[in-house]
Amino acid sequence: MNYIYSLQSEWIKTKRSAASWLCIIGGFFIPLIYFIGFLKEKNSINDYKFDIWQKLFNQSWQNMAAFLLPMGVILASSLITQIEYKNNTWKQLHATPQTYTNIFIAKFSVIILMTIKFFIFFNIGVILSGLIPCILYDNHLPKENLPIMYFIKWNIKYFITCLPIIAIQYLISLKFKNFLVPIGIGLLGLVGSLIGLSWKYIFISPYSYCTMTVMQTKRNFNIFQFATIYFIVIMLISYYLYISKKEKG
Amino acid sequence: MKIFTNKFTEEQKHEPLTGVWLYGGNVHIAYRHIAKRQNVSSKPIDKPKRRIDFNFIIMYCIETNDLTYRFSEKEIVLKNINLKIPQGSIFGFLGPNGAGKTTTLKLILGLLKKQEGTISIFNKTFDENRIDTLKKIGSLIEAPSLYAHLTAEENLKIWQKIYQCSISRINEVLEIVGLSNTGNKKAGQFSLGMKQRLSIAIALLHNPKLLILDEPTNGLDPSGILEIRELLTKLNNEQKITIVISSHLLAEIEKMVTHIGIINKGSILFQGTLDELHIKQAQTSYISFETDNVLQTSEIIKLNNLIPTVSNNQVCISNIDKEVISSINSQLVNNKIEVYQISTIKNDLESIFIDLTKN
Repeated sequence: MNYIYSLQSEWIKTKRSAASWLCIIGGFFIPLIYFIGFLKEKNSINDYKFDIWQKLFNQSWQNMAAFLLPMGVILASSLITQIEYKNNTWKQLHATPQTYTNIFIAKFSVIILMTIKFFIFFNIGVILSGLIPCILYDNHLPKENLPIMYFIKWNIKYFITCLPIIAIQYLISLKFKNFLVPIGIGLLGLVGSLIGLSWKYIFISPYSYCTMTVMQTKRNFNIFQFATIYFIVIMLISYYLYISKKEKG
Repeated sequence: MKIFTNKFTEEQKHEPLTGVWLYGGNVHIAYRHIAKRQNVSSKPIDKPKRRIDFNFIIMYCIETNDLTYRFSEKEIVLKNINLKIPQGSIFGFLGPNGAGKTTTLKLILGLLKKQEGTISIFNKTFDENRIDTLKKIGSLIEAPSLYAHLTAEENLKIWQKIYQCSISRINEVLEIVGLSNTGNKKAGQFSLGMKQRLSIAIALLHNPKLLILDEPTNGLDPSGILEIRELLTKLNNEQKITIVISSHLLAEIEKMVTHIGIINKGSILFQGTLDELHIKQAQTSYISFETDNVLQTSEIIKLNNLIPTVSNNQVCISNIDKEVISSINSQLVNNKIEVYQISTIKNDLESIFIDLTKN
């Protein structure tokens, strides 16, 4: 029960925060571009021959997951965690009757919830960008039903590839007071991974998993297993570092 | 609660009991060594008359024992701090900047990892009762801790969720600190004084039994300081909240505190009631003689078994009875020395504080 209270408290902190705006803008950005494209060409997804929703969904994800998704996740994780440093509130938070474990998990849960919120906004955006032009130009709904399971499957896959990035950014943001450190490390990791995407050992960089999922290249390792293991290990290290911190405010 | 009697020597066990006090949840018993002082036989009394004077009982809200903290091997920040903060008191924790006030308060709140010594709050060891203890404490450490992108109400809501106090309490504390009309204004747009008030509101939100305020009047204008002083005194009087308030300015807090602790370079220099500090003030006051002959005046004073010091052509001696002053005056006049002025120079509390911290 205490965890729920801690989570509620942490969630209030995201209200009107930069991370919250990033989530909304980032989630609707790519679908909006596609929507404008449809308006400009005065066509809709009904013009596709088959798998109309899958095509729109994959095209949107390709643009999103190659760079924007990991970038957004880097920024959001760092911004949420850094709220305490920025406002000088760690000392007040650590003087409240909550276990350190509760604080650690509640704060992390907010990043996860924020990422889920971003995924929801993105999916709503994709659906609206497909639906509205059909109604406007074809005067009827899309000719195929929405493949909900397909959407869910790929959302989960992309979400899993985000987890190690979230964990690394969370660890660095908890450790360093300077906001530029987590952002800088995140950007270096991401850009470095994009440059070295063809390298055979690129799987050691968790920042490459989102892009590799989009490219669907043939590989002899399972990205999702790697991402899960990375996530668990980094979270355990992060928890240990947080708990053993000598100065808590 | 335990009563320790086994720690006393056989001789002490038979001495009359003079007091009992609570210390770390245990009852300690004081025996007066009457036998030794009065130079009478110290043989055991058959039936010692045991008297429990409950005026001796002092409940401590915070007790630290030999609290020592180092930033590194060479840099000792706190040395054997033994703070005893009575329940229901307003304890002024004084010291110049960098004396170790904030470090002590951070250790008490668990914001720094304890290295040596023990901390008891409400008679319970802090380490073993961190959550329960923090439920009863409201704190403000150093600069205000506020979420700049949120309003005053939203800021309080964050803590209301954690403390699970009633939602109506948010308006109550905003009213108390005079911030009930800030509406949608973000905390980041507040003046420093308003931020300080909001921080105090956060500290008061859950009706704490102990308030730890580290320099809460920083950035407040004189009327703001006065308001905060009145508010804290009222809280102490009406709700019996123990308040620990740190400051580097004695004048700022001497009008409200009941007890004072002075810290400098990581060591406690004075700890006691405000009255005890006033006694110290009286003890450090001195008498100054302004005459036309400093040397002869000093000689006459020496003849009275007093030690004079000369400063600014005035002869000074430590405070003495009026009769002695009158007698010295007569002697000076009889020796045809012109006495221009005899005055009592009282050290104000501020100069005692400065003297203590300088030494």
